[in-house]
Amino acid sequence: MNTRRIASALALAAVLGTPAFAQDRGGILNFARYDGSQLVDPIYADRNPDIWMVASLFDTLLRLGADGKSVEPGLAESHEMSADGRTVTLKLRSGLTFADGSPLTGADVIFSLDRARNGDLSSWAGLIGSIDKVTADGDMITIALKTPDPTILTMLATFNTAIVSKAAFDAAPGATDQEKSAAIFAKGGPGVGSGPFYLCGFEQGATMDFCANKGYWRQGADGKPLPYLDGVHFQVIPDDATRILKLQAGEVDVAEFVPFARVAELQADEKLNMELFPSTRIIYSPINVRATRADGSPNPLADVRVRQALNYATDKAALIGLVLHGAGKPMSSPLMAAATQDSIDMSPLYGYDIEKAKALIAEAGLPAGTKITFTTLAGSADDATIFAALQQMWAPLGIDLVVEQVDGPTRGAKNRSGEFDIHTYGWVNDVNDASQVVGWLGHTPTANAVGTGWEDATFNSLYEAAQTEMDPAKRADEFAQMQKIYAEAAPLLFMYETPFAVAVSKQVSGYVQTPLGANVFEEATVSR
Amino acid sequence: MSDVTLPLPESRSRLALALRRPGFLMGAAIIGLSTLLALFPWLFAPYDPNFIDYTAVGQPPSAAHPFGTDMLGRDALSRVIWAYRINMQMAILATIFALLIGVTVGALVGYYRGVADMVFGRFVDAIITFPFLVLVIAVVAVLGPGLINMYIAITLVGWVYYARLMRAEVIGQMGNDYAAAGLVMGYSDRRIIFRHLLPNAITPVIVYWMTDMALAILLGSSLGYLGLGAQPPQSEWGVLIAEGRNFITTAWWLSLMPGIAIVLTGLGFSLLGDAMADLLRPRG
Amino acid sequence: MKSLAYILKRLLLMVPTFAIVMVIIFLLVRMLPGDPAIAIAGDKASDADLAAIRERLGLTEPLLVQFWLFLTNTLQGDLGRSIMLKAPTLGVILDRLPTTAFLTLYAVTLSLLIAGPLAFVAALNRGRWPDAAIRAVFQVGLSMPVFYIGLILLTFLAARARLFPVGGIGHGFVENLHQLFLPAMTIALYTSAIVMRNLRAAIIEVLDADYVQFARAKGLSSRLILGRHVLRNALISTVTLLGLSIGNLMSGTLVTETVFAVPGVGRLMLEAIFARDYPLIQGLTLTFAILVSAVFLLTDLVQSWLDPRMRLT
Repeated sequence: MNTRRIASALALAAVLGTPAFAQDRGGILNFARYDGSQLVDPIYADRNPDIWMVASLFDTLLRLGADGKSVEPGLAESHEMSADGRTVTLKLRSGLTFADGSPLTGADVIFSLDRARNGDLSSWAGLIGSIDKVTADGDMITIALKTPDPTILTMLATFNTAIVSKAAFDAAPGATDQEKSAAIFAKGGPGVGSGPFYLCGFEQGATMDFCANKGYWRQGADGKPLPYLDGVHFQVIPDDATRILKLQAGEVDVAEFVPFARVAELQADEKLNMELFPSTRIIYSPINVRATRADGSPNPLADVRVRQALNYATDKAALIGLVLHGAGKPMSSPLMAAATQDSIDMSPLYGYDIEKAKALIAEAGLPAGTKITFTTLAGSADDATIFAALQQMWAPLGIDLVVEQVDGPTRGAKNRSGEFDIHTYGWVNDVNDASQVVGWLGHTPTANAVGTGWEDATFNSLYEAAQTEMDPAKRADEFAQMQKIYAEAAPLLFMYETPFAVAVSKQVSGYVQTPLGANVFEEATVSR
Repeated sequence: MSDVTLPLPESRSRLALALRRPGFLMGAAIIGLSTLLALFPWLFAPYDPNFIDYTAVGQPPSAAHPFGTDMLGRDALSRVIWAYRINMQMAILATIFALLIGVTVGALVGYYRGVADMVFGRFVDAIITFPFLVLVIAVVAVLGPGLINMYIAITLVGWVYYARLMRAEVIGQMGNDYAAAGLVMGYSDRRIIFRHLLPNAITPVIVYWMTDMALAILLGSSLGYLGLGAQPPQSEWGVLIAEGRNFITTAWWLSLMPGIAIVLTGLGFSLLGDAMADLLRPRG
Repeated sequence: MKSLAYILKRLLLMVPTFAIVMVIIFLLVRMLPGDPAIAIAGDKASDADLAAIRERLGLTEPLLVQFWLFLTNTLQGDLGRSIMLKAPTLGVILDRLPTTAFLTLYAVTLSLLIAGPLAFVAALNRGRWPDAAIRAVFQVGLSMPVFYIGLILLTFLAARARLFPVGGIGHGFVENLHQLFLPAMTIALYTSAIVMRNLRAAIIEVLDADYVQFARAKGLSSRLILGRHVLRNALISTVTLLGLSIGNLMSGTLVTETVFAVPGVGRLMLEAIFARDYPLIQGLTLTFAILVSAVFLLTDLVQSWLDPRMRLT
């Protein structure tokens, strides 16, 4: 074919095929990650770098709406909840396939959900413990529940209920489900999931490649199947500075987890978009409220007035300025990020008021020079800053804050045993429902109120009621009451919410990180 | 003959010659000044190194802050100066106990030999089979990050090198006439070891110690940089470089200045060590 | 025959050494603080889960039994499963090892290329300004921590001048020569200072030796002398030095791989330490020990091959 014929062919194609506007298609997006995936499987994903990638490879029956709070059709084009709240029926789209073209059927849904609710396999099984039985009749899926479950629809839009191919698992080598899953992941390829991409390359700790699923059911703005990209190439660059240097040098298109100290600088870079995606990540510090410390001495923090005083004496704006360089906001609900369903806005939650703090301390009769230990993660620059700032802020209360630096597992062990005064902690929702985070932070039987030892009978019974309350308004009211009780009791130092800071080349558009952290490449494009 | 005459390793003219070497003078000047900064940092530092001023974050060098301010608004110059405390302390504390333990063990196994020496030999083989940093980091992992634990880790690994050196020297000295003479004259083991062998065998150990102090600063700052040594908000050069690392394209001075301090101090110790080696090296 | 007996003796001596190595590694890992079960299952796990994990890992057995398990499993090539990577430790290490081996050999090559010529120049101009200048520069190099050299190269040659990639690895040999140039150079700048110093001394020693003086007196050209005597001796001393420095080189890769985001075993070691990944720390420490003693052995053999006089030791 000579050049002229190519040119005329292209011109013809342009006339015939161009939609109203030209949609950028094709290309590989280069993405620098802070940590690598290990095993991206709906039920074995338990670290964020795994969880946040599940939805790219595996589809769920339902999807979360753009606002993150409503539920929309996914693999199932429609769904219905029975009047008694004990049966969910869903209708699968017709012609669904996995990325290799093999059909996705009711048998795959049953297999996936049975796997997801098997407590021996999945650490997330508890989230869908209400499911009694899953059956399929052609395209109709019926999920029978043991008890009414207000969160079930949300759960069907959550990563752990994503659909995997039964045939792929049957064919995979390995004695156990976990071995099969690992074998499938190690091999890669399009056979196991129906998401917008499939895994087509993986070097542990170094790189990962996603290739577009050409038969994906969702359509783009140009009426052709998503995703727009041909693929995504991930590189694992744990060092913050190196990750950003690679972006600035044009070696990658996206660098995630930009340190907040560098947000302003990158905002000024005209070749980049500095994205601050709203998140459900909250940073707080559990306060030990037990009457005595682990060594048997009386615990000054058992007095609610002291805990309230610490909260009033903490200048959140200054803390956000120091740690996040302004890219964050104080917690407005004591139990969850503002983006979580059923959060209420109580801001200013313990607005900075040093006089009130001093008064509360005087009322509690706390002697000057009281020593309080603040446990931080060794090697964490943020924790070091938080400590240095709190030490300075609480000094006027006569509190001598001393630091104790430990590693992650040790901090976890201390949290369990109660051998701490105050320690740093953080949380990101895995599920877009308040019950997970509220259970963790406040419900004593779940996790001892995040290790603080705080216990409130009203709170606990409200929480248990909310687990089966099907009326959204009543349930919201129960969560509202819990938030008020919790704020008053202050078993935490309420600190701040942080966004996900991602620096993106101007050549890229449409990349999103959800409030739960998931990386979404479906509608991303890159123009070179 | 009342006592065995000891060979004198140095003579006056040699000493004078060594002291006039430019290397020695420079080394001595650097280490002298560093010691002053380490002992009296408050005399030199314009500000409290830990005072957070969030109205003056990330400022470039100016008359008020010659090295600028860091991301918490702390004065970078004051932090570099206060870091002399910790980093100079590293040179001593990370080496002195290894030296003492190593010299003692080395002298004993070198003198008595036998089973203890054989076990020691295998043990040394096993220890030098690990890359130094790997073993130190593994021990720090056991003890937890932090300065004291870092000293313990370096000592636990480092004494072996001193002991090995000392043992070889003692065995070498045992071949000498005066040690043999001491044995013939029926001196006690203790007298032979401490009066005769040790003073003669210690020279190379001391020379090694000087280089080791320079290495200790490098190692300590590396661990600090990796997050395993000194912990923020402590001022330590490795920690300061790590803190400045994120701003290396915009605020390069934050990591450059502590780096220069490391290089200068390391150089000072090396120059002193070289001069010492020349001075103490046996003639011939 | 003689060298075979020597090799056998060397191998035999390694048995007790490695017995001690195994004890050290075992004790180190058993003394790590923090509960391995929490490290595996995370903060949110229930107490019953934690107990089950301890049982499965054999952590409830007496110490001696645990050591015996560790020993026999290791000898069978079973290093356990990495906690953070959820994969067999051995496989993970073998995956990452080639990168580190490449980086190390690359660094050694670069340091020889740097140190070799400069050592000759310095030795032949002994006491004059080129000698002084070369030694002064390397003296400064020796006073710099490896991570600092890395940062400087990264900032100026990668971030500013854009001559080299900022970090990570590429595909294939040729691409990685470019991609890993800066990390290799970082290690090489430090190593070449030691090599240079040693090589210079070795060359001077040979130049001063009687037989060389004699050869010179006989009127042999200096090129011939350099080629025949000096190079050979310089080679022996350099091989020995590099072999004995393998531990230092490994330590260098640990830091350099971290600075340049190179996914080798060095960076893996640090990640394992921070993640409290007990099996991985154990496996990596053992790997380093095996590597170092293999290189020691190889050095010995090469040395005795180059210089038969040394075989008696």
